Amino acid sequence: MIKFKLNGKDVQSDSEGETPLLWVVRDELNYKGTKFGCGIAQCGACTVQIDGTPTRSCVIPVSAVADKDVTTIEGLNSPAGLALKQAWVSEQVPQCGYCQSGQLVSAEALLRSKSAPTDDDISRAMDGNLCRCMAYTRIRKAIKTAAQEV
Amino acid sequence: MATIEKISNKISRRTFLAGSVNAGLFMGFGGLLGGCTEQEAVQSLSLPEADLSKVFSPAVWFNMNAQGEVVINIAKAEMGQHVGTALARVVADELGADWASVSIEHVDTDPKWGYMVTGGSWSVFTSFKLLSQAGAAGREVLLDAAAALLGVDRSMCSAANGMVTAGDQSISYADIVARGDISRSFTQEQLDALPLKPASARTLVGKPTKALDIPAKSQGEAVYGIDAELPGMVYATPLMPPTRYGSKINNIDDSAAKAIFGYQQTLQIEDPSDNLQGWAVVIADSFPTALKAAAVVQVDWAAGDTAEVSEADIFAAGEALARDAQQGALVVDDGDVAAAHAAAEDTHEAVYRTGTALHFALEPVNALVEFTDGKCHIHSGNQWQSLILPALASALEMPETDIVIHQYYLGGGFGRRLWGDYMIPAALAAKQLGKPVKMLWQRADDSRMDCVRSPSVQLFKASLDADKNVTGIEHAAVAGWPTLTLAPGFLADGQKESGKYDTFSISGGDHWYSLSNHRVRAINNNLAQKTFLPGWLRTVGPGWVAWGVESFMNELAEKQGKDAIEFRLSLLDAAGKNSGKAPESVGGAARLAAVLKDVRERSPWGGELPSNEGLGVAVGSGQERTMPTWTAAVAHVAVDPQTKEISVKKIWQSIDCGTVVHPSGAMAQAEGAMLWGVSLALHEGTEFENGQVKDRNLDTYRPLRMSSVPELDIKFMPSEEFPTGLGEPPLIAIAPAIAAAVFAATGERVRDLPISIG
Repeated sequence: MIKFKLNGKDVQSDSEGETPLLWVVRDELNYKGTKFGCGIAQCGACTVQIDGTPTRSCVIPVSAVADKDVTTIEGLNSPAGLALKQAWVSEQVPQCGYCQSGQLVSAEALLRSKSAPTDDDISRAMDGNLCRCMAYTRIRKAIKTAAQEV
Repeated sequence: MATIEKISNKISRRTFLAGSVNAGLFMGFGGLLGGCTEQEAVQSLSLPEADLSKVFSPAVWFNMNAQGEVVINIAKAEMGQHVGTALARVVADELGADWASVSIEHVDTDPKWGYMVTGGSWSVFTSFKLLSQAGAAGREVLLDAAAALLGVDRSMCSAANGMVTAGDQSISYADIVARGDISRSFTQEQLDALPLKPASARTLVGKPTKALDIPAKSQGEAVYGIDAELPGMVYATPLMPPTRYGSKINNIDDSAAKAIFGYQQTLQIEDPSDNLQGWAVVIADSFPTALKAAAVVQVDWAAGDTAEVSEADIFAAGEALARDAQQGALVVDDGDVAAAHAAAEDTHEAVYRTGTALHFALEPVNALVEFTDGKCHIHSGNQWQSLILPALASALEMPETDIVIHQYYLGGGFGRRLWGDYMIPAALAAKQLGKPVKMLWQRADDSRMDCVRSPSVQLFKASLDADKNVTGIEHAAVAGWPTLTLAPGFLADGQKESGKYDTFSISGGDHWYSLSNHRVRAINNNLAQKTFLPGWLRTVGPGWVAWGVESFMNELAEKQGKDAIEFRLSLLDAAGKNSGKAPESVGGAARLAAVLKDVRERSPWGGELPSNEGLGVAVGSGQERTMPTWTAAVAHVAVDPQTKEISVKKIWQSIDCGTVVHPSGAMAQAEGAMLWGVSLALHEGTEFENGQVKDRNLDTYRPLRMSSVPELDIKFMPSEEFPTGLGEPPLIAIAPAIAAAVFAATGERVRDLPISIG
């Protein structure tokens, strides 16, 4: 049994330790906001934060998060997280929306490390998050909007 | 091209019914079912809704409850285009509803909805008149009832914002519904006679609003097919054969999988519909277990006869077909190209090709299937329910009416989910096991059995006079045809009994340039057709046909020593067949000329650029001649002289899609489509190798990322014309404009997509 914190709450998993965290979060603990995209840590749809660091949950074994803090889109309620969620609506960012949980989780970590990110900062932080609808222009704009609100 | 009409005509004898149902007001717009009279339909309004569906097939309906809340049912798939918002705005505007009281519901399959398809950028185009009339009919009913309730003359009443006003009296829609006695039907003739608002009186259409689906998608709360669950379900993933067709399973050895905790079994799939040939399905307690087991189950296949086919083979077959003048269906045959050729002082020939491209919708295809109460319930996101239902009926050997597809948000459509084949293995496994099966395809499998955009080959031959003026063009376009395999009933007849062709695989060849001698042949690449299942990829025909047409136009302009925009304008005279037709193409080629002039003015066209940089232009008129959205793009690229790496700095595009219904949604579609254009031009592409696509995941298949996004400068032309489509047309001009810019920067002519030089 592996114990960790998920969105601030104590949780435990009965899955084998090598099970990717993604499936524990989605199917065992039933937080469906985090998505499966490529399975090889290349698309970013499965991004969660482990102790505040954006991580691809599709390749991280659940054993690696024992006693750690995991944050998913559902728990992304820091001032930066809330500002981003609001900016995503005000800038009308999502199209199909499937990648957006991962985009928001990555963007929140960016805003915590850089309160006024430059275009290059945004490109670097967000390049690992594929948006297949290619809503990139609005993602960039919404991050800047949120940065001003925090 | 009759395809849109074919689909629209499935809704016949349109009627609007309004009546009190379950203490609310029901308003439905659609066709009466066979044998039912208007009177019987109105009478059934007093019956429960379930009975109404026996006489009436609404393409749309909406309910208003006694609180005045309006729920509009949407039979279109939501895959990022915010279609429900756009369609609901059309209804609510004519209805005079208070937008704050409007919500939408995406419906499951039911024969009562008529033909269900979301694609071709058709949704607003095919629904606009229908939904406007439905809203207007609802408004008339409410106005009549309000006049009676207020005791005033009907002519004194006006409706707006959920209220009817007559002089100093007013009554809310909610009160009308609560107190009014409404039971009405309108025939098609009466509907056609209803007054529709002039554009200047619209309060919602064309006005800014926020999309109804965006808040949930910004909180991680939107529910996609992959999120659906049922009690007692097992998890599954398929094992796919080495060829699309003709593979057979000799033996399955799952002994290694048996050591995996949670592995249940591997099922060999027998599919009576023959869509799946040589498939097996791994069943387990969880997805990760199913994926782990799938990696160690050994299947011995006898492969079908396309196991060695390569991209080069498909191209070679395509070019041979293009050069055989006897091949293909005649799509355009204006004037006499042979005579023009014989009389030519000079000729110019070019072969344009596009490589295999994947949909790569970010949500891998999936389906959850349960058999219960004698019905098959499928939970999955899908774009063309009316196409897959008959295939499912054939696979499951049960009537189509006993199969229900429950709709979810689509984690990307782009045409992949027009073909719901991913439901078939899940359904067959659930049937075999007698319990609910949740099947997810691994990413590499999703790519491998994608209905890809076929490799294509186009041959162009131009005849020129002594001044290099174009006297004729012969064009042959060869590819695998999606419609041939998936929906052969939608194939069109070529001219002069030249056979059937796929309109979706030549659209864009029948362009709006006036050419006195012009012949276009559409040719099926039979090697492609038997090797894989060609699919409809965002922008479909024009997405690759215009790559050739527009690039060749740039070559001819250069040959003539003429500016590429001036050259085009000289051919866009809007004469004869290019003069346009009401309502969908009023103005014809003159509107294409207008967007081209507009983008010329807004871009630095003709200006000086640093070395190794260039500008290029192209136009589009997709998706079809029967629904043209007029687009013109100028691309600005820079090419690194050492690495030859091409970067797009900026793209200007001017777009005329007639009336814009939902401005922010329209802009988002244009932005997304243009970046898709960049991605398909420079970043993504694969090839067939040993009968299958080679690049199956993001390690080697690399769509555009944030850091390579160019600046976009997009303008929608102000217009009150009939709305056309938008999800795809802004993609069309991008690749040829980029290639032209690369030529301007380097002098290298690129004829293969994706583009690479050096």
